[in-house]
Amino acid sequence: MTQLLQNIIDGLGRGSIYALLALGVAVVFGIMHLLNFAHGELITIPGYLTYWAFNHGWNWWTVVPLILVSAVGSSLLIERIAFSRVRGAKDFTMLLTSFGVHFIVSALFLLYVSASVKSIQRPGWAADTVALGSLRIEIFDLLVIGVTIVTLLATTWLLQRTMFGLSLRAAASDFEAARLMGVNSDSVIRGAFALSGFLAGIAGIFWLMRAGSVTPTAGIDPMLKGVLAALIGGLGSLRGAVVGGLVLGLAEVLLRAWLPEGIQNLTTGFVFVLIALLFIFKPGGLLAVPQVERV
Amino acid sequence: MSLRSLFPKPTRDIAFPLAGSVLLFGFLVGGGLLYQVILGSGTAERLVTTMLIDAIIVIGIQIYIGNTGILSFGHVGFGAIAGYVFAVSAIAPEDKIKRIPKAPFGLTDVQVSPGVAILLAVAFTVVAAMILGVGLARSGAESGAVAATVITLALLFVTHEVAKSWSELTGGNRGGLSFGIGESLDGRVLIFVVLFLALVVARLYGQSRSGRLAVAAREDNLAARAVGINPLVQQMVALVISVVVVSVGSALRVWEIGSILPDRFFFDYTMLTLVMLIVGGRNSVTGAVLGVVVMTASRELTRRLGQEGFEVFGIGLDEEPLDWIFRENLNNVVLGLSMVAFMIWRPGGILGDWELDEWLYRTFGRGNEEEPERLPELDVIPDAQFTASGIGVAFGGFQALHNAGLSAASGEVVGIIGPNGAGKTTFVNVITGMVQPDSGSFAIDDLDLSATPAHALARAGLVRTFQNLRLFGALTVRENVETAALVAREHRADRVVRDPDALIAEAGLWELRDRRASELDYGNSRRLELARAAAMAPSFMLLDEPTSGMSNSESLTMIEQVRHMAATVGAGVIVIDHDLGFITGISDRIYVFDQGQVIAEGTPTEVQADPRVQAAYLGSAAVT
Repeated sequence: MTQLLQNIIDGLGRGSIYALLALGVAVVFGIMHLLNFAHGELITIPGYLTYWAFNHGWNWWTVVPLILVSAVGSSLLIERIAFSRVRGAKDFTMLLTSFGVHFIVSALFLLYVSASVKSIQRPGWAADTVALGSLRIEIFDLLVIGVTIVTLLATTWLLQRTMFGLSLRAAASDFEAARLMGVNSDSVIRGAFALSGFLAGIAGIFWLMRAGSVTPTAGIDPMLKGVLAALIGGLGSLRGAVVGGLVLGLAEVLLRAWLPEGIQNLTTGFVFVLIALLFIFKPGGLLAVPQVERV
Repeated sequence: MSLRSLFPKPTRDIAFPLAGSVLLFGFLVGGGLLYQVILGSGTAERLVTTMLIDAIIVIGIQIYIGNTGILSFGHVGFGAIAGYVFAVSAIAPEDKIKRIPKAPFGLTDVQVSPGVAILLAVAFTVVAAMILGVGLARSGAESGAVAATVITLALLFVTHEVAKSWSELTGGNRGGLSFGIGESLDGRVLIFVVLFLALVVARLYGQSRSGRLAVAAREDNLAARAVGINPLVQQMVALVISVVVVSVGSALRVWEIGSILPDRFFFDYTMLTLVMLIVGGRNSVTGAVLGVVVMTASRELTRRLGQEGFEVFGIGLDEEPLDWIFRENLNNVVLGLSMVAFMIWRPGGILGDWELDEWLYRTFGRGNEEEPERLPELDVIPDAQFTASGIGVAFGGFQALHNAGLSAASGEVVGIIGPNGAGKTTFVNVITGMVQPDSGSFAIDDLDLSATPAHALARAGLVRTFQNLRLFGALTVRENVETAALVAREHRADRVVRDPDALIAEAGLWELRDRRASELDYGNSRRLELARAAAMAPSFMLLDEPTSGMSNSESLTMIEQVRHMAATVGAGVIVIDHDLGFITGISDRIYVFDQGQVIAEGTPTEVQADPRVQAAYLGSAAVT
């Protein structure tokens, strides 16, 4: 029982990061039907800046704003350079554009930094735990869960209670109609990318703290987790993205705990089997959004 | 299934594709050998061999991506499965014992001949593809092709992850698995043979019934279902055939290199093969081949430019400041830039939809074509009765339809009219399977069609057109109509299935038969949609606002065309339109809808005289 609770908390900690990533993916998907395979670069780019900053005497207090600013900046920059040119194109075109952007960014780091692992100093308290009865909870997990809750509340407020949120939701439900009603499509799209970048920035702080390193291809893993979580929850649903992230995190931790000794290293494979089964029986994801076919 | 039903026109669908494959094969192999002779080095030979193997794999990927339009990152993942099955079963036990002494299932001691190992690789991979294919198809149908793409991407990662971590079987990331010295593939005859077969399979599949239906669904999924195509079935067929080719290619790749490592079948190779495919043009096999050549050449060039000591006009590229650009790993940047640049400026690739053998056939293969004779109207119209009754639909608290019904007999033209918000569109959505009614049912004769998916409705004889035009844009006029005829010959064989060419001529499109549907103007597009519907040999044609956007004189001609076209296939017509003049001109009987109910029914004269109609329709809505 204790073990289970322990695993659930671990899973929620991990899942919170996935949820933030998935939400960022879902916000952009909702507004321009672009599934952003370059989302992980919003962690890689700040990651290399963090590496640079630590080498120049910065500490985590000053690095955190740097990560957030650079994540938002990178998101806007990528939108400006690449995605703004394929707005309204076929899914195929947009998917490959984002995949290409991912590839270019990682190739540039490979070319101009190095293929080798660059370490980032992890904060001293990252591995500390607090005892709660027989549970030993990592402070890190508590922090992640707490910050995620605050971020989600703030995002909900932003989407539900502000003019920007209203335009964003209007544009997500019917882009053309929203545009005709006077919503400025450029600024809404940029706003969506900024929000997506900010969410990736928050996730990135924890991702980098936990990983303690960055490599040219470090973006692949967070990208995949975010995109898969958004899909598990149901593409197009913001709530689904959060649920999908938590479910994916829990599934990973619990599977690893339950699988017999010898095959624990195949956890990823089993998670994938579960996801495949989910899509066979519930093809729209957990919180499927009905797809309206416009005739 | 006879050969003829798979390939309706053998010259066009078999002979020319075979000839085209020979030419493409000659282009690849001949060009490669020539390059080798000119350079005369061992590196050149290796480069050509690699290119030919890449070509096999890219052609395999083209079969799926090109025909279905679904982006797959997973084919290299399938390649990894095939590669490992091949390596584990073909490598001699004395070589395996060094790397994987404790392989599960006693696989360390197993060895089969390379030929058998290739077959095993194909079998395993196809089974994996079929299981994954079900998930792909179902989620793709529910959440769009994007979901399918993510699943293929996840497959790529999982195969890589498993290959890395299941090191008792795969040798893991460090050592991998290697053939003993002298046991890797010697000579290139096998590669030539497989390459040629891959070209033939890809082209024949493209021309086959399944390939054509898949391409129609790629162009417009909804319209494809409306002519009786089940996209999921065709996508599955394309996936399996494509995976067979990719598996054989990947096994050859492992055999030729002599070893396998997880990273060889991962991101970089996926990126390389995808860029090769899209640069040339993913929708055609010729494009895939061209892309392989172009990208191989450009990679070789960048590699050489990045080498130390390389000079152009006496300027060393490895000196400042040029060494900032020309570096060893420049290739990946070039790959990424090529992908993004093509997506932004030329998403269809260099060739777009252009296919070598189709061009050859149009130019040399078919000689002069005579415009077909006008089709006679049927003397005896096969009996059929459409009935819808008691249909009710509520959206939230709003009762969009209440106890609505309609009946139509074959040979009859029935019009539906009513002011905006009367429930016409909802009614159409119900009888086309787009909206499930809360109550009521509809049927052709005794065959209940409620809760029937769209493609099955079409096969049962209820074929629709679309208010906002849905044609298979990249296909020619002729291919649009032929696609429907392919389905009709299988599912509507008890009816009079008309020759597609005759229907094209009937619609006045004969001169435009080789034009792409996307190039047609509005009126011609409408007529093409009508001809395509007629090619389904329908019992009933459901026309959704067939004159919207047309001028008065055009709608008057449309009346003649609809009536005649229906009479040549013996179909009844149910037509919805705003235009009162058009509806009264074309219909034998009219149903008037208002506020979700049928308020009047009768001949045009009766209906126009009905006071309730005058109050509800003529009184309230603008009539021109």
